[in-house]
Amino acid sequence: MTAEGIPVEPAKQPAQQPAQPISPLGTHEAPDGEWLRVHPASPFIRGWVVLAAIGFFFGRDLFERMLQGRPVLEDGFTGRVPWLVAGGGTVLLIAVLGFILTWYFTKYQVSEGYVRVNTGFVFRQQRQARLDRVQAIDIVQPLLARIFGLAELKFEVADAGESAVRLAYLRTDVARQLRATILARASGVVQAAGRPQEAVPEAPEYPVLSVPPSRLIGSLLLSEQSFFVVLGGVASVVLSAVTENRSFYFYLIPAVLGLGASYWGSFNKGYNFTAAISPDGIRLRYGLLDTQAQTLPPGRIQALKVVQPPLWRMFGWYRIQVNVAGYGAGGNNGEAASRTTLLPVGKLVDVMSMLSLVLPDPGTPEPGRIFAAGLNGLDSDGGFVTTPRRGRLLAPLGWRSNGFAATDTALLLRSGRWWRQLVMVPHQRTQSIAMHQGPLARRFRLVDLVLHTTAGPVQPRLIQAGLDEARALFDEQSARARLARKRQTSEQWLAQLDPHQVERLKETIPSITPVQEGQQDG
Amino acid sequence: MRTEAIDPPGIMWQRVSPKYVTVRVVQWAIGNLVAVLVLSLPLLLVLTGWWRWLPLWLAITVPAAILALAIWRLLLIPRQVRAIGYAERDDDLLIRTGIFFQRTVAVPYGRMQYVDIAVGPVERGLGLCTLKLHTASPGTNALIPGLPAAEGARLREQLSARGEARLAGL
Repeated sequence: MTAEGIPVEPAKQPAQQPAQPISPLGTHEAPDGEWLRVHPASPFIRGWVVLAAIGFFFGRDLFERMLQGRPVLEDGFTGRVPWLVAGGGTVLLIAVLGFILTWYFTKYQVSEGYVRVNTGFVFRQQRQARLDRVQAIDIVQPLLARIFGLAELKFEVADAGESAVRLAYLRTDVARQLRATILARASGVVQAAGRPQEAVPEAPEYPVLSVPPSRLIGSLLLSEQSFFVVLGGVASVVLSAVTENRSFYFYLIPAVLGLGASYWGSFNKGYNFTAAISPDGIRLRYGLLDTQAQTLPPGRIQALKVVQPPLWRMFGWYRIQVNVAGYGAGGNNGEAASRTTLLPVGKLVDVMSMLSLVLPDPGTPEPGRIFAAGLNGLDSDGGFVTTPRRGRLLAPLGWRSNGFAATDTALLLRSGRWWRQLVMVPHQRTQSIAMHQGPLARRFRLVDLVLHTTAGPVQPRLIQAGLDEARALFDEQSARARLARKRQTSEQWLAQLDPHQVERLKETIPSITPVQEGQQDG
Repeated sequence: MRTEAIDPPGIMWQRVSPKYVTVRVVQWAIGNLVAVLVLSLPLLLVLTGWWRWLPLWLAITVPAAILALAIWRLLLIPRQVRAIGYAERDDDLLIRTGIFFQRTVAVPYGRMQYVDIAVGPVERGLGLCTLKLHTASPGTNALIPGLPAAEGARLREQLSARGEARLAGL
């Protein structure tokens, strides 16, 4: 069995300096940018569990004896005390020494086009990532690090696995400065020659929206999860009443604990969510105890999905999730899920402003009408092409809503009557396109069209489109994606945006007027 | 029912080697014959009188149904192989598969990250190979099986050259 792979060379950047040779391990002289170390306290903050465990192991017995008023050392025990102390001290010493060594050997450098991190003292590792390939950059502050004023910097490239570069921990101002430097270089801001070390000012940012805590709590109470919780609760009460089995409730205790943790996790992650726009991209900040600040540079969002669970409709709330190449698939809960969430819960106005940030050029003269039709519309509102009437037997509820609309810059896919969903894929982000048809769909001359994007929560699929419409779309979409790719030549986004982009962006936000709440279909 | 192809009309499809039928038959044999043999075991036990609780008709029907299904799938293989096609267009590669469940995928050359060629033992004996295209999306799943080795190598070189010429970022 042989397998051959041909890695395709990364795109050549015309404006870039020739790639410099990678400095071999151990040499600390870099042409630009000195090697720096992370904060000395960081291994202790990362490894506090180890220290706590050692302390707990050796201190518990002592503490219990003191509480119970017994002599701290029993007679037969005294002889062994030096050994125990020596043993404990050795373990502690080894742990601390290990911490110091990991700190000493962890170094990072930002030089012309790359960020490099060296780690490890037994197994050494040097990582380097191209700055212009940055997909997202996050500053994470777990509670303990936050207390000490430290932060972790995560630098994502297009690899759905682990973070490309992870620097834990830096002083908060150092982390912010480093983020500004990386983003400035990645965007192609030209540095003053001869003074590469000069600090780059942080890009100005304009707040766009925030989620009040009351709405967050409401959204959690009305979430899909709560629906199943209520359902499960009713089912267990009925079951225990029917079987007259009281011990049944004991099995619910772990479930309740798990649910509590899950709600708390969502609340902790979603608390104080704010979004802002800067020339560096979209900035998201959230978190109650552990805070996180994400920066998504322009054009890094591969696909976007606006969802409205049935219970949210009475308040007109929506959720936005995105595919970003470095973030990976993301589960239902936890960090990956919160990182791929662009808006945990928001009103139509918020959705519209987020859409205008993600897609600054909507490619249509009336974006407000089309997006609103994509969220709440039916049939051919806003120029959507839906499942033909012959398909109503296959999708009795959804046939009037499942459909697509294409603007000059993005494809919009609407689906669902109860569970409303609008998927948006910018043309230049489409990877490949496929059409699927099973025997049943063939009877109705219907076909599914799937757009492939990077791994993430959004899986764009146009369901049950008419054969002729889908065929036309398949061809048009290939052509549109080809054109869009040709237009996008550089990964450095300043080369694609003009400096007044943000000012114009701010102007467009209020101009996108959402439809009246009363127009929503009930 | 006359099957209407879902792919765009007016495309000259390149078909894969008819020898690929042999590869599929070997795969079919390994999968289905083992299943039928395992399911026939109760029949043997009933016939020899070891098992008395299982009714004879059930012991016969289950493996017979599986066998019938397997034979049907065997008969479909030549048609399925004939249905596999690929077409090199100016900017993308089209791949189509299936008769009953049809799938047509268009992979732009500029989106290809790398191209794989895999050769299994049976394929090697017949001088065939399988070509797989990878984009940044895990969903692409574009593979052309049953290519003659020379055609596979040519296509790989061609795709790589075109990919480099048109490569776009993510």
